[in-house]
This record gives sequence, C-alpha cells and structure tokens, in this order.
Amino acid sequence: MSKPLEFENRRDFLKKLGTASAATLAMGAPRSFGDEIEQPEARADCCILLWMGGGMAAPDTFDPKHYEPFRNGLKVSDVGSTFPAIPTSVSGINFTEGFEEVAKVMDKGTLIRSAVQPDLGHILHSRHQYHWHTGYVPPQTVAAPHIGAWMAKVLGQRNEAMPAFIDIGQRLEGVGEKEELKAFHTGGFFGSEFGPFLLPYPDQAIGAVQPPNGMTPDRFANRYKLYKKLISEGLVGKSGSEFQQESMLQSMEKAHRLLSSRESSAFDLTKEDEKSAGKYGKTRFGQGCLLARRLVESGARFIEVTTEYQPFKHWDTHEKGHATLKRLKSEIDQPIAQLIRDLEERGMLDRTLVVIASEFSRDMIIEGVPGSNARDQTTHKVDVISELKHYGQHRHFTGGTSVLMFGGGVKKGFQFGKTADERPFVAVENPLAVEDLHATIFQAMGISPKTSFDIEGRPFYATKDGIGKPAMEIFS
Amino acid sequence: MTLKTQITLLIGATSFVSAKVDFAHEVLPIIRENCAECHTNGKYKGGLSLDTREALLDSETVVPGDSEKSLLIEVLTAQDEDERMPHDADPLSADQIAVLARWVDEGLAWEKGLTFKKKTWKAPLGHQKVDLPGPEGGNPIDRIATAYFKKNRVQPPELISDARFLRRVSLDLVGLLPSKSELENFVTSDLGLKRKEKIKQVLSRDLDYADHWMTFWNDLLRNDYAGTGFIDGGRRQVTGWLYRSLKENKPYDQFVRELLNPTAESEGFIKGIKWRGNVNASQVREIQFAQNVSQLFFGENMKCASCHDSFINDWKLEDAYGMAAIIAGKPLEMYRCDKPTGKKMDAKFLFDELGAIDKTSSRDDRLKRVAELATAPGNGRLARTIVNRLWARLMGRGLVEPVDIMSNRPWSEDMLNYLAWDLAQNGYDLKRTLSIIVSSRTYQSATVVASKSGEGFVFEGPSSKRMTAEQFIDAVWEITETAPSKIDAKVERGSEKARVVRASLIKSTFLMRALGRPNREQVVTTRPADLTTLQALELNNGREFVDYLNRGGTKLVAEKEMVETLYLEALSRLPSSLEKQVARKILGGRVTPDSAADFLWAIFMLPEFQFIN
Repeated sequence: MSKPLEFENRRDFLKKLGTASAATLAMGAPRSFGDEIEQPEARADCCILLWMGGGMAAPDTFDPKHYEPFRNGLKVSDVGSTFPAIPTSVSGINFTEGFEEVAKVMDKGTLIRSAVQPDLGHILHSRHQYHWHTGYVPPQTVAAPHIGAWMAKVLGQRNEAMPAFIDIGQRLEGVGEKEELKAFHTGGFFGSEFGPFLLPYPDQAIGAVQPPNGMTPDRFANRYKLYKKLISEGLVGKSGSEFQQESMLQSMEKAHRLLSSRESSAFDLTKEDEKSAGKYGKTRFGQGCLLARRLVESGARFIEVTTEYQPFKHWDTHEKGHATLKRLKSEIDQPIAQLIRDLEERGMLDRTLVVIASEFSRDMIIEGVPGSNARDQTTHKVDVISELKHYGQHRHFTGGTSVLMFGGGVKKGFQFGKTADERPFVAVENPLAVEDLHATIFQAMGISPKTSFDIEGRPFYATKDGIGKPAMEIFS
Repeated sequence: MTLKTQITLLIGATSFVSAKVDFAHEVLPIIRENCAECHTNGKYKGGLSLDTREALLDSETVVPGDSEKSLLIEVLTAQDEDERMPHDADPLSADQIAVLARWVDEGLAWEKGLTFKKKTWKAPLGHQKVDLPGPEGGNPIDRIATAYFKKNRVQPPELISDARFLRRVSLDLVGLLPSKSELENFVTSDLGLKRKEKIKQVLSRDLDYADHWMTFWNDLLRNDYAGTGFIDGGRRQVTGWLYRSLKENKPYDQFVRELLNPTAESEGFIKGIKWRGNVNASQVREIQFAQNVSQLFFGENMKCASCHDSFINDWKLEDAYGMAAIIAGKPLEMYRCDKPTGKKMDAKFLFDELGAIDKTSSRDDRLKRVAELATAPGNGRLARTIVNRLWARLMGRGLVEPVDIMSNRPWSEDMLNYLAWDLAQNGYDLKRTLSIIVSSRTYQSATVVASKSGEGFVFEGPSSKRMTAEQFIDAVWEITETAPSKIDAKVERGSEKARVVRASLIKSTFLMRALGRPNREQVVTTRPADLTTLQALELNNGREFVDYLNRGGTKLVAEKEMVETLYLEALSRLPSSLEKQVARKILGGRVTPDSAADFLWAIFMLPEFQFIN
C-alpha cells in the first residue's frame, strides 16, 4: 500500500501523525459492544436502488386488487385498484396495466408484497424517506447515515476512480422540503467522504467529473502542475508541514485523479451508442437508469436513481392519482426492464442487487394503517367519485408495500409475503419492517445488520439497534 | 491462501475513500473486545499496556509505519497457540488483523484524549482560585504557560511576525482577512504596543465580530435560516436575538439566562425541533432540552441517559428526565428505551448540589430557577465550558478534549480555572476572555504539532486551524469581489448597504455544505478538520466556486502588481522570487481573465491559505 504521507524523515512522520484527528470524536470510557459480529458472504458487489419517491401505491403497481374503471357515481369503497391486472412472465404473479415491460422480466426477480412501515401518527414523506434511507426514524441525537454511506464506509470503493455512493436524479435545491431531503442525503456521522456524489441531471453528469466548463484538459492539467510547483516553493514545501495540510494535498490529488481518469467517460451519456441509449427513453428517470448501468459497469458501489421526490408530484398523489400514475408508469416501465436486461446481458445481474422501493404505499381510503388517527391528507374527500381527479390512491398507506428486487442472489420469479385480498390491504403474510428489509439488502451486500460503530461512545448499528433480520427465504 | 496473503490482498483492495484506518470506529472496538481485558487499566500482562498511544509505543511491540516488523501484529497470526494472541481465545479474523496492520502502517493514529485507564480525577464544580505563578504583571496566560513549559521541559515556541499575527488575529476574532492597507500600516507602524492596540481595535468592530461569531453560535444553538422544522412552525430561529447579543457583547451569564428563561425572541433554542407525528420518547422536545442544555453549557453528554442509565458516564435516566421535567408542561413520565416505566420524574437540575427546583412551581418559575442555577456563582462549570470552547477555537485544541466532555482533565487546571474565574469575576465579558488569550505571547507564537497526544498530551504551542466554510467563502468573496448582494438573516446591522455580505448570514449553499457547514438539526460543537475528496472535487469544478474564480479573474486582470497584491491580500505576505516566477508561468505572457482565474485558484488551494497558521 502507499504511504499516505511523505515526510522528510520517519521521526518527523511519527511526530506529525500525533495530530491525526478521527472524523468523529469517541467519548467516554471504553466499553465492549457485545459479541463479535460475523459479516455474511456477499452475494452482490454493488446495489442500485430505484427510488419511487412520494409513495408508490401497491394496488396500482405491483399488487393488483379489485379493479373498477372510472365512472361517475362510483363508490370509493368499491375500488381496490384503478388499473386492471395484467399477467407477468411468472404465473400467479400479476402486475397492473402500464407495467407490461417490467412484467416480462418478473421471472428474473423477487417481489416482496409485505413491506410495512410504522404509523408515525402524521404521515410525512420526509420523515418516512429519512427512515427508509437511514433505517432510523427521525429525529435522532446524531446524524444517521444513508444506507449508501454505510455501504461506502463498510465496503469501500470498488474502483478508486469512482465514488462509492452516487445519487442520481434528486435535486436538493429548488424543490419543496429540500431541507428535509438534505438531512438524509448525507454520510451522517461518517462524514462527507462517505456521503453521496450528487448527479441531479443524468445528461449533465459528465460535468461533475470533468474540468470546469470552458476549461481545456491541457489548461486544467497545467493549472494543477503549476499549483504543485507553487506549493513546493511556498510555506508547505519549505518548512515541512502539518498533518492536516498534507492530508488536504492528498485529497486534492485524489480529486484530480478522478477528474483525469478513464472512468470519467462512464458519466457521459453521449458515449452510449444511440440504439441502446434509445431503449431507456428520454425521461430523466430513464436516463438515470442508463447512467446507473454505466456507472456500476465502471465500479460504483451504491447508486440511487430516483423519480425525483417533490411534494405533490409524481408518486405523491393527493388528487388525480390514476392519471398521474398512467403517465409515470409509461416513463419508468421500459427503462426499468431495460436495466435488468442490460445487466443480465452483460453478465452483471448476479452480482448487482437492484431494488425498486418507496417510503410507503397508498390507498383510496385509509391514511396510515387501519384505525390510525393520522390526518387524512387527500385534497378531495369524497365517498362517491364524480370527477377523474377523485379517481386514484390519495391516502398514505403504511400497512403493506411492494418492493421489487433483481439480481444479487435473490430468487427468480419468486413472491415473498402477501397482502389481504380485501381492504384493508395490509400485509397478512411475512410482514417485513424497514429494519428487516435493510437487513435483507445488507445481507446481499455482505454486511451484518449488527455492524456497529462507536459514535460518541455509543454503538450505532447498520439496522435499528442491530435488530434487523434478513428475509433469507428470498435468496436462492 | 495464507493469512498473510489474505491480509496483503485486503490491504491492496483499500480505496482512497477509506485510505486511512479510522481509529475510533475500526481499531478501538477490536482492542476493546480482544485486548483490553489483559492489557489495559492496571492489568498489563507481559508488561504490555495499551492504555494510551504513548504506553503502546513504550512497549516497543510496534514499529509505526511498518506492521511487518511489529511484534504486536506478528503475535496475532502466530501458528503456535501458546504464542498467539489473544490467549485462550479465538484468533482475530483476517479482516480485523488487516485493520490493525493498516493502522500500524499508517502510523498508529490515536483518538485525542483517549485512554483505557479509568479516571481517578474528578472535575470540580465550583470556581477554583488560582495563584498566578511567576513575577507580577504580564499576561496571566503567559505566566501560567511559562511555569507549565518549564515543568514539562517544553521549549516555548517562537513569537510570530507582525504580519502573521495580524492575519491570525483578524481571522480568529472577526473572521476576515486583513486588507492590504491595514497590513501595510500595521507592519510599518513603530508604535510600541501596536499588537495590543490592534486587538482592541479589532474587537471593537462590533458588527464584524457579530457576523463572525454567528457561525460558532448557530452551530451550537442549532440555529439556521432554513431547515427541518421551519416548514410547519415546528422550530423557531433565535437569529435576531443572537445577533444583537453578539453585537452588544451581552454578558455570557445573561446570554445563558435569556436562552434558558427566554423571551419570544430567544425561545427557539429551548423549544427544540418539533416533528409532526409521533417521535421516540428520547427525542421529544423536553428531552432535546435536557440533552442540548447539558451538552452546550456544561459539556455533559446526556444522550445515553435519555434512554437508559448511561454506560459511558455517570448520568442516569433520572438525571435526563429531571432536566427534561424542568421544561415539561405537566409531570413527565419516564420512558426506558421508549417504553413507559410508570414513574414520574420531578424537575431537577443537572448539578443538584447547587440548589433544588420547587416541583410545585409553574413552568415559568422552573425556567427562571434553572436560569439562576445555571449561572449561580457556585457553578464554575458554565464558565469553564465556554472558555474551553473559546480556547479551542483560538488555539486549535481545547484545554479539555473533547470539548463536550468537561469531566475530562484539562492539560492545565490552572489555565482553565483562571480563565473561568476571570470571566465570572468580570461580568462574564467574553470579549475580555478573547482579548486575554490573543494578547498572550502564547497565542502569538508559531503553530506547532504536538508530539504527544491522548492522555499524555503536552501543550507545546497553538495548533493550526482550518478555515471554516464561512471564513473561506468570505475570503474568496472579498478577494474576487463576488459576494452576493444581500443577506438572508434577519438581523440589524445598521445601514445594510454599507456592510459586507457575510457567509454566516446567508442560507447554506451547496459549496458551504460541501466545505463543512452542518445541517443544524443537532448541536454541532466541532466541525471536521480534514478536506475530503468530495470537497476537493467541488473546489476543482464546482459551479459556484468556478463562477467566483471566473468573475474574480476578470477583475484581477486590470490589477497592477497582481501577484504581490494577491499574496498580500490572501496570505498577508509578499511572494518570494521563486514564487513570483511560478506565478508568472501561471499567468502567461499576457494575462487573460482565464489565466488570472487559474492563479486565483492556485492561491485559494494553498494549505497556507486554507489554514490559519
């Protein structure tokens, strides 16, 4: 391995290391955190999370219920789904209309229909998304890291010229609830080194890994070369320097390596041949899926691609649910299927875990879980539908949510858990809590749910209090 | 595959992100679980003590930088079970051994202040009178430091030049670089007490001072201009009150009283963040109050005790709930690990030896009472905690470390006790404390790298500090003349037009966050010191920063003697002739906006620029 620092002599080196500061301060008296944990054998090397931000209604996507087409005078309580069921490539597993392409690849993956979330009394997307992404219900006394940061921290990079944790498609500026979103799009207590590399617009991703706009590679290289010369003539070069300052130069060197690496072309969607690029469509999500494929090919560890979360947009249907989902499904159906096919064709699907998930489901009537006193947040509260805007899943439902998984050692053409046939559509078989779902994902990645770090003298676990249990049945 | 090759492979696979082993998170747990029982805290089998880094070095079982020559690593993989460590236990896993080997290879980093030895020292609560050593007169810090240096056989560091002093004191007290003319006037002045005069003058710039210290206090009070909770009124700013308090240099005891027993303007702090919906019992607003007040004002960690009796300090669940009950609207039921215990807790102050809180009194009266107890003459902890934080900001390391564990022993009890006592004796005037510190020769000395850390830390002089995001951006704005046109913070700065826009008064931007400005949902008392790779990327091609460079480059082109000017403005010194040569190469034969922007970039990326040395 390379020495992190070059000092004039070894004694100096040792002396200077004395000031090395860990990112997080350990406090208090030493204590043991119990039994030694054993990391499971990894089934996957990388993970792509396709995030359906805003609450993906299971009855209108992967878990069809009784369908009633729109008509004036329709009683809300008579409707389960607003889309008819369609068959998939696996007999006995149906999706809803609009997912014809994903239906064709169902034989390559596992469908979990029994994910459940806590009813937090007042359903908020930001709190549930925070929970789903970090494993902890906010607020917390310390900043909890995103699961991508856990993977970056525990597993490290697959390729040193490629950031371990990449987030595609979510802006953190200019969108509603941006402050809430920022709170979990972080490395948390692991520090920003393990936080997400943000690429809000896939078609502009290349801009993040190349010299600034308008600067030629030659000028960029020259600037750096002369900068280093300036340092060697200046204070640091002459008097030797301090640990933190050396460490700063090291980070500059690493950043420069990424900016001048071959891998940076993976970020450039124009490099994809037209025919295969066309299969992903022109939408931001489709382009995001394509970018994700290119980046895992080049060695990313964890990638999240989102149908960008914005309050009352996309999956966040408080009205016009049916119409919105019809459009949304048409945008994501093809790219999701294409991603799976491409990964398989390249022989990468077995070692890549793809997860399609959302913070909770939706229902026509029930907010939270049955019996919850959570405030009904639909825009139009009607018992009988008279207009199309009333037709859709307009309540946040936490009692039964679908999660679709491909690759990474999960069974092919398999269904895990189920929800009731009649409302309330709660999970009636194998309910899977967030910590258990995370434990399952971590299991595939070779991380024990009990993996813990000493934060302010306290153990902080990869899944809530270390209690997550993987659903081993889904692995082949 | 042998264990050795496995280790080599694992080491080979390490990436730049995790280039350095993280002692606290990776090494410490391994030592605790496998080695501590026989080799720490009084039990030193085979003569090996792992109590501190120094003890480990003294054992000569490690060669920092060379794991292959380190007995410590060798014994972990010994074939012979009698030789292999840990004794009578399963061998460490290959992963664990690889971590320890890398740790040795990387020089045996150790957590500041960490020791396995149980504490025998107990922090006093009341003020302790200090008899200053050495001859009468002179700066009290220097008197204590001189005696300290002598006792510890430390060669006092050299005094820094006027120019460096000015850059340091200006950044430390008001967060700004000295201007070129200010620098020239100061350096050429032959006034006898010019440093003393300068300190007075800088501290009298009330608005600059308030602008700068907003960064520090916003982190501590987790106050911001946008963020979680504001969306639905679940959180309130204390911005206007805070700014005015800083501007007026409000006595610190009064400042604390106004936070604990607040007016409508300052109530945001104790109100905490209210989330819609249900939250864990250890995160309700009352408990946030217990945690934040204990940490911020007294350097005590109540986070464990909010859920159960703490394993890491002496605080009990009852202590956390006692504090929480002060602010609660009705008797507060205790929850252990989110489950109700059926026991109700009465209001009780953290240090209840200072006085009781009448449990029958109203919430308003309880808050008034806690404000009294917090600032009672017998509570030396309040002053010690804040002077330690200020010392850490100015000197790069606290008298007590970590700054949030004030029950740890300071490296100089005299220094801590004196500064705390002086603060309390003099109307809790924080500017006075700052002035005493920066007036000392000790502060005005060259930065050093401490040769001993951990329990055996010996103070040898100030350490260098990295600029905060706000200081860095203010400096860049100043030099490139690219500051935005208005501030976001609702504060009274007189005629806003005449004022420089400061980063501390702006909503956090991507660049600020990238450079370490925290999301202020939790109290933050220490920001990470290292520049990370993602930060370096942002400084190479981030849109916001590139825009400043380009605009700055366009302006710089017109500047005469731009190399000298920039060195003076950014580094408070003139370039050497060699540096000038390199600068000319960057600027090219005919200076263009592009080449000027590149030169700006090179200067801003110098560690000398980004660190306060």
